[in-house]
Amino acid sequence: MAVFDPYADPSRTLRIALAALLLAAVVATAGAFAADPEAAAPSPVAYDDVVELGLSSETDALMAGSARVPRTQVFYSQLQYVVGYNGVESFAATLDDGRTERQFGYPIAAYVETFDDARPGTTGAGLFESERLGEWTPADEAVYVVGSEARSPAGETVVPFRERGAAEAFVADHGGRVVDWETVRGRSFDTDSAATVRAMAPERWAAADDRIAAAERRADRPVSVVVGEDEPTVEAAVAAAPPNTTVVVPPGTYEETLTVNESVTVAGDDALIRGDGNGSVITVRAPDVAITGVTVDGSGGQTRDPDAAREGREGGGPADGGAWDTNIQLGYGHGDAGIRAIDAPGLVVDDVAVEANASGLLLREGSHAVVRDLRVDGADEWQDGFMGITGMRSRVTVTDSRFEGGRDGIYLHRADGSVVRNSTFTDNRYGAHLMYTGDALLADNAFENELFAGITVMTRPSGNAIVGNDVRNSSAGIQASGTRTYIGYNTLVGNGLGFSTSSRGSLYERNVAANNEVGVRATTVVPSSRVVANDFVGNAEHATAGAGALRIWADGDRGNYWEGANLGTHEPGERAYRPTSPVDGALHRHVAAVAVRESPAVALLDRLRGTVPGARSGSITDPAPAAAPYSPERIDAALAPNAGPVHADWRAEPDERDGSTDENAAMNARDRDATSGGIGRETRRVDAEPTVTSARATTGGAGGA
Amino acid sequence: MTGPLVGVATVFRRELATVVRTPGYAVLAAGLLVAVGGLLAAGGGGATGFVPAVVDLLLPTEALVPLAAVVLGYRALLADGASGELAVIRTYPVRVGEYVAGVLLARTVALVGVVGVPYAAVGVGVWLTAAPDTGIFATHAGIDSPLLYLRFLAFVLLLGAAYVSLAAAVSAVAASRRSAVALGVLALVAGVLGGDLLLLRSLGAGASPASIPGSLALTPNGAFRGLTFEHVIGVAFAPEGGFVSTGRAVGSLVGWTLLGALAAGATLAYGRRVDAAIERVRSGLAD
Repeated sequence: MAVFDPYADPSRTLRIALAALLLAAVVATAGAFAADPEAAAPSPVAYDDVVELGLSSETDALMAGSARVPRTQVFYSQLQYVVGYNGVESFAATLDDGRTERQFGYPIAAYVETFDDARPGTTGAGLFESERLGEWTPADEAVYVVGSEARSPAGETVVPFRERGAAEAFVADHGGRVVDWETVRGRSFDTDSAATVRAMAPERWAAADDRIAAAERRADRPVSVVVGEDEPTVEAAVAAAPPNTTVVVPPGTYEETLTVNESVTVAGDDALIRGDGNGSVITVRAPDVAITGVTVDGSGGQTRDPDAAREGREGGGPADGGAWDTNIQLGYGHGDAGIRAIDAPGLVVDDVAVEANASGLLLREGSHAVVRDLRVDGADEWQDGFMGITGMRSRVTVTDSRFEGGRDGIYLHRADGSVVRNSTFTDNRYGAHLMYTGDALLADNAFENELFAGITVMTRPSGNAIVGNDVRNSSAGIQASGTRTYIGYNTLVGNGLGFSTSSRGSLYERNVAANNEVGVRATTVVPSSRVVANDFVGNAEHATAGAGALRIWADGDRGNYWEGANLGTHEPGERAYRPTSPVDGALHRHVAAVAVRESPAVALLDRLRGTVPGARSGSITDPAPAAAPYSPERIDAALAPNAGPVHADWRAEPDERDGSTDENAAMNARDRDATSGGIGRETRRVDAEPTVTSARATTGGAGGA
Repeated sequence: MTGPLVGVATVFRRELATVVRTPGYAVLAAGLLVAVGGLLAAGGGGATGFVPAVVDLLLPTEALVPLAAVVLGYRALLADGASGELAVIRTYPVRVGEYVAGVLLARTVALVGVVGVPYAAVGVGVWLTAAPDTGIFATHAGIDSPLLYLRFLAFVLLLGAAYVSLAAAVSAVAASRRSAVALGVLALVAGVLGGDLLLLRSLGAGASPASIPGSLALTPNGAFRGLTFEHVIGVAFAPEGGFVSTGRAVGSLVGWTLLGALAAGATLAYGRRVDAAIERVRSGLAD
C-alpha cells in the first residue's frame, strides 16, 4: 500500500472515490431520515406459525367440528413474533388496554380472516362456522358483522368480510349489522380482570361443596339386602336389591368381580372385595350408584386396551387418522381398574381403598363422580401401574383422598369442571395430570416426591384454577399450559422447578417458591400473563427464561418478592431486578454481586433496559421488587424442618387487598366458560410439555402421557 | 483553486498528517470499539435488533463520544502555538480563519475515523448477528431497521463534532498542555452534566415543563438525547413524538460547532492584543 502523503495532490481516481464515498454517506444519511421505517407493512404469515393469544382454540366446542373463531394476526412495532388472536374481539380488546402497547409497541399491521368465499354460517348450537378457511385481509379494509346470531364459545363474535356485499348477505341470513374497523375497535369488549379470574376458585369450591352434599344425600338409602344374610355374594346382593336402596357388605373378604346395573348404594363395613386378577373388580353401569366403606384389590394389570384404540381408529372413530386424543380416550379409558364406571353419572365413592394393579378408579363416558376419602395404593414403579383416578369425559369431584405410587395420581381427559381438593399425592409420576380439561379447580392438595411434576396441565384448555397447593421434593411443582389460568397461593418447596408460566393470558400470584433448583421458569415466547406478588426465597436460581421477548413481571408498581433483590445502596423497590441476569441472579447467594451491581457500567445498562421490552429477548425483569415477602408466614412454614404441607388461607383473604389496579387489568383472554360446550372428536395440537420446543408438537406427539 | 480554500486545504492536509502520525488516536478508536462492543455484548440489546442496541448505547455514548472528541481537540490549536509553529504559519498568507477551519475540518475527519468507524462496525455486527431467539414461530423485524442505526450514527457524529470544536476553542485559550487538559476536562464535565443540571435547576425554579423540548435542545447532550429519542427509539412507540424540537436540536448541535470554531478563531486572532491590553492595564495599575 502506498505511503499516506497528505501533501501530494491525490490522484484523480482517489479524488473520485473520496467524492463518491462522501456522496454515498450523505445520501445514505439523508435516506435514513427520509425513509419511513413503518411504511412497508409485512405480509400475512401462515397462521400455524403465529404465537397465539386470545381465546383457546382447543375447547371442546371448537374441537367438535366445523365451528371456528375468526382469527387475527398482528405485527407489533416492538415484537419480533407475529401474534395471532383467536377472535377479532380478543385483539380489539387489547387496543385500549395500554399494557399490550407497553410490551409490544403499536400494531404496524393487522390482518383478519375474512369469510367471503368460505361459506360462513352457524352450527346447530349457534357457533360460527365456515366450510373453508377464510382469507387474510388488512383489518382496516375489512368490514365486520356485529350483533349477529353467530357466537364463539365465549359469547358474541365479530365476523369479518372483505366485501360489503358478502357481509350484507351474511346479515340477511344471520342478523346483525355491518360496521367498519373503526367501529369495531371503538366497541368495548369484556375482558377478564384479575378479580374475575381470581373469583373462579371460590365459586368452584362452593360448587364442589354442593356436589358433595348432594352426593351424601344420594348415597343415604334404606337398607334392602345384607350380603351373607340375604344373598351369598355382593354381585347377587346388588342384583337382588331394588333401586335406591342400600346393599350392606359386612366385614370380611369377598372374592368376586361384579357389575352394578342398578342405582344402589353398596355400603361396606371393613369389607374387602378381591378380584381374580383379570379385568376390573367392580364395574358400574348405572347412574347414581354409591360405593362406600370397602377395600378393593385384585384387579387385572392391563393399563390400557390397544385393541380398543386400534378399533377406534379403523372403525367408527374420527376419519382423520392419528387423532391422538381419540387414541388416548380409547386406550386409556379401557384398562383395568379397581372400580370402573361406564356411562354412570352420579357415582359416589366414599371411604374406599384400592390396592391398584392398574387404575384405582376409572371413569368414562360421562361418569360424573363425587369421590371422598378414596385411598389408592399404586405400583411402586410407575411403569407397572396406572392412574389413581382416570377420568375420561367425566367430571370428577375429589376431596380428602390419598394417592400413592402408580403412574398419575389423577389423570383427567376432557373432564371440564372437575374439582380436586384437600387430597394427598405421593410417589406418582404426575400428581394431577390434566389434558383438554378446562374450568377445573385444583385446590389445597399436597404433593410430595412426584417423579415428573406435582400438577401438570397439557394442551391448551381454558380457565383452570390451581390454588393453595403444596408441592415439594418433586421434579417440578406446577406446569400448567392453557389460557386464562389462575395459579395462586401455591407453595412450592425443594423441587427441581417451582412453577412455569406456560399458561397464556393468565394470573400467577401469591405463590411461594422456596429452596427449589429453579423457582420459576418463563416459557411462553410472547408474554401475556401477569406474574405478581409471588415470593422467591432460597432457590438456587430464582428464575430462568426460555426463548422469547422480555417479560415484565409486575402489575404497575407492585412486583414480586425476590430474596436478595434489594441488597445494595438503593431504596427497596427503587431498582429493577432481573432474576435472569448473572449479577442480579446471584445477589441472594453471593453478597459480592452487590459490588458488581453498583458499578457504573451495570447501572448505565440497567437504566433504559425496559424501554422496548418486546424487542429484547430471553429475560425477566421486575421493575418494582417488593421490600418484604407477601406471605411471610407461609415461607416460615415452608422452610421449617420436618414441617408438613403448608396451608394457604386463600379463601379467607379479602379480594380487595390489592384491587386498585384491577380495573385495567385485561387478561388478553375472555373465554368465560369456553369449555362447557359439547363433546368433540378432533384434535390439532398437543402441548406435550409446556415448553417452547414442544409447543409445536402436533398430533401423534407422545404427549408425555 | 485559489483564495481561502487553498489555505484551508493546506492546513487541513498538514493537520491530517498530524492525526495520522499520532498512534494514540488509533488506540482510542480501538478502545472505543471494545467499549461499545462490550456494552452491547453485556447488555444484550444487540442480539435482537438496532433499537434495543441504541437503547443500550445511548447513555454510555453521552459520555464516551464527548470524551473521544475532547481527546481529539484539546491540543489541536495549542500545540502549534506553544511550539512556535503558529507564528511561522502566520508569516505565510494564511488567515486565522483559514487556519482554524483547516484544523477543525481535519479533526472532524479524525472524529469520523475514531468514533464513526467503531460505531459503524458495531452496527454492522448487529446487522449480521441480530436474530430472534427462536425460529419456531414466524418473525418479522417490527419497526427495527438499519436506517434507524444510521440516524443514530449521524447524531453521534454531530455530537462529536460539537465537542471537537468546543475542545479546540479551549485549546486555543489554554496556555500550556497541562492547562489544556484541565480546561478540556472542565468542558467535558460542563457539557455532559452541566447543561442538564441547569435544566433541572430551571425546572426546579419554576420553569414550565412545556419548555423542555425547547430548552433540552440548547445543550449538546440534551439535543443529542432528544434527537435519539425522537428519531430512533421513539419510532418504536406509538407515532406521536415530541421529545425535542428537531430543528432546534440540530441547530443547537451545529451552532455549538460554529461557536467553538468562532471562539477559537477569535482567541487566536485577538488573544495577543487582549493579553497586551491586560498587561498595559496591569502595569498602569502597578505604577
